[in-house]
Amino acid sequence: MKLLIGQILPYITIIIFVLGVFYRLGRWVGTQIIHNITLSDPWLKTNGQVAVRIGTEAFLFRNFFIFDKALWAGALLMHLSLLNVLGGHVVGFGTLGTQFAFIPGVSEQLSQSLSNDLGTIFGILLFVALAYLLIRRLSITPIKQLNKPSDILWLVFLLLIVGVGDIMRFFHQFHVEYEPVRDYVIALGTFQPVVNMELLSNPVFLVHFTLVNILLILFPFSKLMHLFGMFAERWIVNRTYHEPAPGMPNIDVAAARKAGLGLPSSGGGAESSSEGV
Amino acid sequence: MAEYKGMAQPSRASDEDMRKIHIEPVPDEQKPEKAVEYLDYIRKQFRSFVMAMETCTKCGQCAENCHTYLGTRDPNNIPANRAELIRKIYRRYFTLEGRWFGSLVGAEDISLDLIETWYSYFYQCSQCRRCGHVCPFGIDTCEVTFIGRQLLHWLGITPKLHSDVGAAMERVGNHTNMPKPALADTLEFMCEEAYDEFGVEIEMPLDKPADILYVPSSADFLLNPYTLMCAGMFFHYIGASWTIPSAVTEAGNFGFLFDQYYTQRHNIMRLLNAAQELDTKKIVWGECGHGWRAAKMYIPTKADRPVRWDITHLHDEAAHLIRNGELKLDPNKNSRPVTLHDPCNYVRACGLNENMRTCIKASCSNFVEMEPYGYDNFCCGGGSGILFDDPDMYNKRIQLSWKKAEQVRETGVGKNGDGILCAPCSICKAQLYPMVEEHNLGVEVKGLIDLVGKALVWD
Repeated sequence: MKLLIGQILPYITIIIFVLGVFYRLGRWVGTQIIHNITLSDPWLKTNGQVAVRIGTEAFLFRNFFIFDKALWAGALLMHLSLLNVLGGHVVGFGTLGTQFAFIPGVSEQLSQSLSNDLGTIFGILLFVALAYLLIRRLSITPIKQLNKPSDILWLVFLLLIVGVGDIMRFFHQFHVEYEPVRDYVIALGTFQPVVNMELLSNPVFLVHFTLVNILLILFPFSKLMHLFGMFAERWIVNRTYHEPAPGMPNIDVAAARKAGLGLPSSGGGAESSSEGV
Repeated sequence: MAEYKGMAQPSRASDEDMRKIHIEPVPDEQKPEKAVEYLDYIRKQFRSFVMAMETCTKCGQCAENCHTYLGTRDPNNIPANRAELIRKIYRRYFTLEGRWFGSLVGAEDISLDLIETWYSYFYQCSQCRRCGHVCPFGIDTCEVTFIGRQLLHWLGITPKLHSDVGAAMERVGNHTNMPKPALADTLEFMCEEAYDEFGVEIEMPLDKPADILYVPSSADFLLNPYTLMCAGMFFHYIGASWTIPSAVTEAGNFGFLFDQYYTQRHNIMRLLNAAQELDTKKIVWGECGHGWRAAKMYIPTKADRPVRWDITHLHDEAAHLIRNGELKLDPNKNSRPVTLHDPCNYVRACGLNENMRTCIKASCSNFVEMEPYGYDNFCCGGGSGILFDDPDMYNKRIQLSWKKAEQVRETGVGKNGDGILCAPCSICKAQLYPMVEEHNLGVEVKGLIDLVGKALVWD
C-alpha cells in the first residue's frame, strides 16, 4: 500500500495531470476565434491595455470588485492564500524554510520561524476562505440554483486537503519536518531509490498526500481548469480593436450651410413646430 | 403552441414557413440524435463556445446582473444555468468527465424535452452580453444562445416572427416586407412631413448612385418615422451625397439572431452588391442595435469577399461633426427631460458609448443619466428580437422590462408625464413603445437622431 501510494501513484498522477492538461488545451487550440466578439467596455487599443485588463481580472478579480464586493473578498482571499500556500510548499520545503534569509538582515533562524508562521496563517486563511465560499454556495438563492453536486464536492474536497494540512501544523504528534519531505520528493523526481518512506507512516501526511494526488489526477477533467480557461476566454473578449475613422467623403458642411441647403426656396415654409418630435 | 409542459414558448414557424427559408424540419423522433450531431459539428469551430462550456465555475455573479433573471426569478434564466441547458449535453457527449461521472458533474442525456426547453429559454435571452461584461472570465452567454438557436433552426424550430423576417429579407431586402414602390412613397411622404413639421426642404434619394450609402432600419419607414426623417435632414444639412439602397432597406439582420449561416450571410452579400452598384464610398448605418453589431463586427468575417468600404454608424458621424463644431444645434429645441437607454449592442459590442452622449448632450437641454448607464446599462428586455406578441410571451416581455422600468422611474424624467426615453435602436423602440405604457413611465420613446435632427439650426 505504502509502495503504491508513495512510489507509484505520484508518477501516475504527474503523467495524467500533464497529458490531461495538454488534452484540454489541445481541444481549445483546435477551435478558432471566428468573429470579432471583443467587449467594448471599453475597447482596448494597445496590447499594454490588454495585459492590464486581463492582469487585473486574473490577479485582482476586477469584475468581482466592481459588481460583488462580498464575493470579491472571499474569492481573492481564497486564491491569494492558495497561491501563498502552494508557493510556500515549493520554497519552504525547497530551502528548508530559509527562503527569507536571502533578505539582508534576516537570519536563517528568523526565516524558518517566519516561514512557519506564514504557512500557518495562510493555511488558516485558506481554510476560512474556502469555508466562506462553501457557505455562500449553500445559502444564496441564485447560487443554490446553480449548484451541481460536483461544485459542492470540490469545495469539500479542498477543505479536506487544507484541513488535513493544517492538522500537521497544529498537532505536534502529526508534525512533518521539511528535510525528509524534500529528500523524498527529490528522490522521486530524479528517479533515485526512494528515501524516507517512513513519512507515510504518519496517517495525516498519508491522507494529505493521497488526496493531493487525487486532486491532480482529476484536475484536467474538472472546473479547476479555469486556471487556464481564464486566460483563453479573456483573450477572446479582450483583444485590441481599432475603429474605422469617422468622417464622410466629400462633405463640406460650411459650404452647405452657406448655400442655405434645406431652407425653403419660396421662403414660405411652415413655422418650426416645437411639439413635432 | 405557446407552451410546452409549463414553459412559455414563442409561436413557432410551420414546416411550410421553414421551407421558405430553406430548412427541412427534422422529424421529432430524430431531433435528439440530430441535435447532438449538429452540436458536435459546431463546437469544433467556435472557441468562444467551447470556452463558455468549459470555463464556468458557477460563481453566480451573472445572476443578479441579468435583467431576464431579475424580471422572472426563473432559475433557468440565470445566464450560467441557461448555458447549462446546453452544457449538460456538451458534457455528456463530448467530455470524458461527463461520460464517466454523469449527473455528478451535471451531464444529461439528450431528449426532446430538453430541446423544447432550449426553445423556451434561448428565446428569453436578449443576448445583451451583460453577463459577459460582469463575468470574471468574460464568458459570453450570448455565444451559447446563438449556437442554441442555430441548432434549433437546423432542427426546424424557429419562432414564426424570426422565420417570417428571414423570408422577407430574402424576398425584398427588409424585415417588414416593404416593396420598392412603398419605400419610394414613404420617402416622398417624409420629405413633405419634414417641410410641414420643421420647415425644411430635403430630399431622400432611393437608389441614386452616391458617396454615402445609408442603411436605415425598415421599422423607421413605419414605426419610427422621425428617425428616418431626421437622418435625412442630417444628411441634407451637411450637404452629403447620400442614398438609401432599395435592395437592403434594413439595418437589422435577423440572421444574426437565429441563423448565422445562410440567412445572415445572404443579407450581407446583398448589401455589398448594392454598395458596389451604387458606386458607394462609405456605408453609414442607421439606428439598430443587433444590426449594427452584425454589420460592424460580423461583416468582415462573414462576407464572401474582401470588404472595400469603411462602415460607420450614423451616431459616430454625427458625434464627429459635433466635436468639430460643424453642426449647429440648439439644445433648447429639446427642453423636455430626457434619459438615454443604451442599446446593449451599441455599448458592449460596438463602442458607441461616448458618441451617443456627445450627440444627446449637444441636442437636449435637460438630459439625465439613468443608473446604471453606459457599459453597465441593462437591456430593454426585447433584445435579440424577442418581440413576441402571443399572450404568454408578451407577459414575459413585461417581466423582462421590469429592470428597465425601475431605472427609468428612478431618473424622474417621466414624473410630469412629459419625459423622453431615448432608445436609439429599432428593437428597443419596438419593445419600449408598449412597455412604457405597461409600466406607466410617463415617457415617450424616441431615437437619438430624432433629437439631433430636431435640434439642428438651419439658418
